[in-house]
Amino acid sequence: MKPVITFALMTLRNLLRRRTIWGISIVILIALFGIGQIPSYGISNEGRFILDFGLFGLEIGALLLAIGLASNIYPRDREKKTLMPVIAVPLSRGQYLMGRFLGAAIVEAAAMLVGCVGLMIILVMNGHNVPVDMLPATGLLLVEGWFLLAVVFFFSFWTSPPLNAPLTVLLFIVSQMSVAGFIKLFPQAPGLMRTLRLILPHMDVFHIKDPIAHGIDIPGMYFFLAMLYGLAYMAFMLSLALVVFRNRDLK
Amino acid sequence: MKLTFAFLTSALLLLSACRTDYDIEEVATPQHLGTDHNDDCVECEDEDAEHVHTDHEHDADTSEPDLLRDESDENNASVISGSDRHVHDAGQRNHGTGWFFNQPWAASFIWGKMVRDSVILLILSAVMLFVPGYLRKRRR
Amino acid sequence: MEDYPLQVKELQKSFKKKLGLSSFKAVDSISFHLFPGEILGFLGPNGAGKTTTINCVLGLLKPSGGKVSLWGSQPAAPKVRRRIGYVPENPDYDELFTPFEFMMMFSSMRRLNMSRNRIYAILDRVGLSKWEEVRIRNFSKGMKQRVSLAIALQSEPELLIMDEPTGGLDPAARKEIRDIILEENRRGVSVFLSSHLLSEVETICDRAVILSKGKKVIEGKLDELMRTEDHYRIEYMVSDEQEELEIHAALLQNTIDDLRGRGYSIIRVNPLYRSLEEVFLSATTGVGR
Repeated sequence: MKPVITFALMTLRNLLRRRTIWGISIVILIALFGIGQIPSYGISNEGRFILDFGLFGLEIGALLLAIGLASNIYPRDREKKTLMPVIAVPLSRGQYLMGRFLGAAIVEAAAMLVGCVGLMIILVMNGHNVPVDMLPATGLLLVEGWFLLAVVFFFSFWTSPPLNAPLTVLLFIVSQMSVAGFIKLFPQAPGLMRTLRLILPHMDVFHIKDPIAHGIDIPGMYFFLAMLYGLAYMAFMLSLALVVFRNRDLK
Repeated sequence: MKLTFAFLTSALLLLSACRTDYDIEEVATPQHLGTDHNDDCVECEDEDAEHVHTDHEHDADTSEPDLLRDESDENNASVISGSDRHVHDAGQRNHGTGWFFNQPWAASFIWGKMVRDSVILLILSAVMLFVPGYLRKRRR
Repeated sequence: MEDYPLQVKELQKSFKKKLGLSSFKAVDSISFHLFPGEILGFLGPNGAGKTTTINCVLGLLKPSGGKVSLWGSQPAAPKVRRRIGYVPENPDYDELFTPFEFMMMFSSMRRLNMSRNRIYAILDRVGLSKWEEVRIRNFSKGMKQRVSLAIALQSEPELLIMDEPTGGLDPAARKEIRDIILEENRRGVSVFLSSHLLSEVETICDRAVILSKGKKVIEGKLDELMRTEDHYRIEYMVSDEQEELEIHAALLQNTIDDLRGRGYSIIRVNPLYRSLEEVFLSATTGVGR
């Protein structure tokens, strides 16, 4: 485990020294600040509005962070050949993947926490209460972000970065659709579309911004189950990524 | 590799073969979906009659004209619309809010499916991670 | 024999071309081994399959056929990976780190727990004593090569696998690196050295394997490879002056008799040696004696 942690910390440092993460974080904070300002232009229920759109902003931020952080890690390592000395001697491919993923996951967690705190500050500044479920809700969005991170890593092992981002966004959109809605995309083959949709992840389980915005209590068991589901899917995507990576020739 | 792929495919198909899944529109009871809320339904008429009020405040906040809407809103627009729309206590169902309470957090009957899928996904992950190595060792 | 630090048996590696309809054989059934404590030169023109072979040896590429073993084990086995050091060709490390940071991280990943002073000493040894805390983005190609060498040396490996270790270095730096390789070899380290610089191989290697178009064309001790079997040099004295004569083996005895008949004294008769360049060209292109 020590080699993985060391490599994760190396990845963390690397990502923090690059400008991408700061750029995305600033965009998220500006968006949250903007959401805090809009209600003053006449929209009623501003606390609800800030919460709803703020959590939505965090979710989009999680997606952008996942793509921004991870889509280029492996292709850059490969292109610059920084991968070779690492894989050749100290680390196995699994350790490489875990180290890179953990480093990016820590950055994603930190950015989401900053976003959550930023949203809380905006709520308080506008004279609203911070709901109790705000932190668990951010936790769920973070799990969604980690899952997306795993998806981005998976795609990065067999596509180029310019293709990785649209594929991830597509999966993100499709994963929010109902089975019926998905079948409507290609009604000629309902059976195939149903099977495909049921295999694809169900990201709607991470969405609790509506009840939170309406002050509805969410059972703790739900948080636990949704996180379990998200982490299980993340583990599955990482395993799939490793299977692809293990079978790749590194020239 | 081939064995892993075969296992993966069959397990995923098994997962997809479970018809009852996350799509509440397909599997939920009519009560849960709120589709029984129509003008012909006697019970609903009673319910509607009981619920026709205007200034009933929501526990957490005021009315929710922006969020609580769906197609049935349009159908019933003449009955409940705009500031006349009645509201309930937090967590209580409202007319035209089926979509709101059809989300997974509210539909406890699909939580079991989440556990099922989590277990399948974790087993698949373990198979992908450990079986190829085990088979390689056995071959040697 | 299980004890060879490196053994390659009938190694094959093919790469699929576009759409996978055809393939290209980069390495075609090559076999060789590295004896403990020797320096083996691995030569060949560009595209001969040297780097592909090294990548197979390191487990970066999966062989299409044949077998690679390090001390009798699979290259991917952790127990053998701990015993090797690798210097890649044209390394391009993450530019946002310093050599010191890299050394610390690699040492931690390899569970070496090296002290700061030990790391400074290794960096000093490879000529980076004033550059430990400078980010690699400011480094030249040669300096990056030195970082590679430092990382390879930090675990005191038993086998050094080097792919063009002196590429991009000036002659003085090349000599420094050569000296380090020889020092390591004196410590008992086996070295597998791929290089384009024939003079370098000629200077430090015990044996050489030459590849051409993915196939092994020559393997042997340098002394044997460079010695010509059919030409000899005769050194003799002609009235207090030393003269020499290169002749074909078939004429050797007659020539010696003739020289003696003329009253010249024979000093020495040696087989004629070719340069490694001649051996290389002869093996890879058919040019040469």
